[in-house]
Amino acid sequence: MISVTNLSKTYEVKRRDNFWTFHKEKIHAVKNVSMRIEKGEIIGLLGINGAGKTTTIKMLTTLLEPTAGSYSFDGIDAVEYPQKVKKEINMIAGGERMLYWRLSAYENLWYYGQLYGIQNTVLKERIQSLLQMVGLWEKANLPVESYSKGMKQRLQIARGLINNPNYVFMDEPTIGLDAVITSELHQQVKELARKQEKGILLTSHYLAEVEELCDYIYLLSNGEMLIEGTKKELTDYVFTRKQCAFSVKGMDKQVEEKLFAALREYDTEGEISEMDKGVLVTSERELTAFLADFALREGYVIQELYQKEPSLEDAIMKLSKEAKQ
Amino acid sequence: MITFFKVVWGEAIKQHRNYFHSKTIYISLFVWPLLSFVTAYYGYLPFEIETAKIGYLNGENILIYLLLGYMCMSFFRSLVQSAWNFSFERQSGTLEYIYLSPGNRFAVLLGNALSSVLESMIVMLVFGIFLMFLHKEVLRMQLGTCMVVFCLMMLMAVGWGVFLNACFLFSRDTDFLFTILEEPMEIFAGVKVPVILFPGWAKIISLIFPLTYALEAVRETVLNEASFYELKGFFFISMMILVLLFGGTLITIQIVEKHMRKTGNASLF
Repeated sequence: MISVTNLSKTYEVKRRDNFWTFHKEKIHAVKNVSMRIEKGEIIGLLGINGAGKTTTIKMLTTLLEPTAGSYSFDGIDAVEYPQKVKKEINMIAGGERMLYWRLSAYENLWYYGQLYGIQNTVLKERIQSLLQMVGLWEKANLPVESYSKGMKQRLQIARGLINNPNYVFMDEPTIGLDAVITSELHQQVKELARKQEKGILLTSHYLAEVEELCDYIYLLSNGEMLIEGTKKELTDYVFTRKQCAFSVKGMDKQVEEKLFAALREYDTEGEISEMDKGVLVTSERELTAFLADFALREGYVIQELYQKEPSLEDAIMKLSKEAKQ
Repeated sequence: MITFFKVVWGEAIKQHRNYFHSKTIYISLFVWPLLSFVTAYYGYLPFEIETAKIGYLNGENILIYLLLGYMCMSFFRSLVQSAWNFSFERQSGTLEYIYLSPGNRFAVLLGNALSSVLESMIVMLVFGIFLMFLHKEVLRMQLGTCMVVFCLMMLMAVGWGVFLNACFLFSRDTDFLFTILEEPMEIFAGVKVPVILFPGWAKIISLIFPLTYALEAVRETVLNEASFYELKGFFFISMMILVLLFGGTLITIQIVEKHMRKTGNASLF
């Protein structure tokens, strides 16, 4: 288990006053962040740009030293023994950088295997199984520069697993990929966690991806932990009121006004907002029966009536807006 | 220890595949020093070479004198170029993965330098030995001393390479380092013109480059039959240089890692 307690990072930045003098300024990139990552879990780390995601990941991967706080991997103190921890972790980043393009996929993996001091026989078998897993074994000896974007990203996944890490940090792993390849990669990420019992920390700007993959989510804002929980816990926390999509045949402004009046009689805090088709009704009280009753009473033919589950994206957007305010 | 050598080997092979991916690069590595060597030789031809300052230098062995200069320089110059190439690891993001791994940082720099030294000079070395064989009548050398000096020169080249790798890897402006290290080394280390003929200020600059000492010893051994005893000064200086280069590299690595973990930035200067 990765256990993170009150992790903080403060940078000292030099700001020039004029040609001769400058002053030092402290920037608190991450403040008192705590989290847990168990093996076999996919954990999402979200936050708008500048929230402190990259700094947090760099600290967890031992590339940065925290200013305060502690974190451990299976009981090993990462601040005290970063070299020990390095053997247990790896990172998979999105994009086409971080690979040697003139080398083949096999050579890339062999090189990184050497850096981890893996025995040659073990390394050969592992390279083969990883390249088979990501579907690149047939093209293992072609230079990476001849690969497509998706192939390079699959190679990144294989590279990130070369040392058979217990914990993998994935930083925007599907950035710039098309839907088909993204879906394939999602499947592989799930398998890594469910079948191979790896603990995964995922950051992504694609909230649908986080919603699909992550068991638990941490949301950072201005370097601080804003909220944490499962997808359901987050949306329930943000959206305490019920939402129903509703439309009837011949829906116009007059119908909307009638509905609004009825809703306010039913719930004084009730709200209506326009959707592409029909309206979205929000209330503290049960809505489906109320709306069906309203349509029956007024003689309208219902075209659409369903309870709307708020998405993670809705919740994060709302939280981000609130945090900004 | 095995892990250390695995990293050295891994880095050397990666460097070979990454930068020597095309055989034509061997031609380019050979053609440029060869042209420079030929130009220097024909530049000397119209003049009387005999000089009181270098007793063993004359019109007959000037060719080998210059050849030795260019052979030794090909060792050292290739390292400046490879260190410059190595600096791109920082920009391409692969350096971050190297730092993410537990691989020994010194082993990475060493593997890179070794690969460069052994690959870059091979064509020039073969050509040089062939030319020396054709002019063997001017050679006055003790084979044992010559081999020791040659090995020490190679070791100094590797030390120079490792140190340069560290400097280039952690510098914000590698083009500047490349400019101040490449051409000036050829001029001030005495590749074309013997250092002894330089004015005082140029002699001081020449002391910066390990090539200056190595070249002097190689020429003394091959053309002047210098013995171990006569070269004791060189052995002492070369040991000092090696300690400085390897020690300096280790300290640089430590400082950079500390700086990087504190600021998240690998650029030290």
